[in-house]
Amino acid sequence: MPWYTVMTLLAMALVVALELVVIRSGIFRMRAFWIALGICALFQIPVDGWLTKLSSTIVIYNPDVFAGVRIFFDSPIEDWGFGFALMTLALALWVRQGRNDDATSPAVRDAALATGGGNERD
Amino acid sequence: MQRFQYLIVMALCVGVTLPLEFILNARVYRRPRRMFGALLPTVAAFVVWDVFAIRLGHWTFSPEYTTGWKIGNIPVEEITFFVVIPLCALLSFEAVSNILRDGWVATLRAGVLGRLLPAGRSGTGSSERGDTTRSEELV
Repeated sequence: MPWYTVMTLLAMALVVALELVVIRSGIFRMRAFWIALGICALFQIPVDGWLTKLSSTIVIYNPDVFAGVRIFFDSPIEDWGFGFALMTLALALWVRQGRNDDATSPAVRDAALATGGGNERD
Repeated sequence: MQRFQYLIVMALCVGVTLPLEFILNARVYRRPRRMFGALLPTVAAFVVWDVFAIRLGHWTFSPEYTTGWKIGNIPVEEITFFVVIPLCALLSFEAVSNILRDGWVATLRAGVLGRLLPAGRSGTGSSERGDTTRSEELV
């Protein structure tokens, strides 16, 4: 059973759903998000490659649990889905909390406090 | 030294993205509460996945290239990974956001280079908490 493949698709769907329903940072509508993800995906090639290259592997995948598609330096293609889920979750939470943090004008802050919103300022 | 390979890769990720904080004024490390607020739930979620994946034998780690230091069944390298990679994403996102919103020149000027270059800026009394940067942002 390709459990890593299944879990990766599940994680991606879960993070997307979490963002759209719960976190609602609006990150998927931000150009900066897609550009940043693209840049990170490119840098993932050497980083992930170093960890998974078959010549001297650091992170060793059980061949039974992934689809078997290795790209660039032997990295399982699932790793990019894993990376998407990992980075998107952090970015959505970051942007969401920024809405409270950056609401520094008194009117906005009062409104946030009145609605029980976070007063989480750094 | 070989057994530090995974950790060294992580350190390189931190090192390569560190200039984004200061040169492109990402201000991720300088907003620690928000940073931890984004990282902690993320790390927690992926550690849970990792615990089960390791237990079920989905992936293992080279004893030659990892330290062998573990928390439960998770190598410290993995926890480092779950902190470092999202951190790189946050820094990239903030840097890109700055450039899209303010342009390269204003972004570089707002960063540490702006304090070194004679750009005709007054009010260089930047406090440790970066209050001047914050007030600039509000303009």
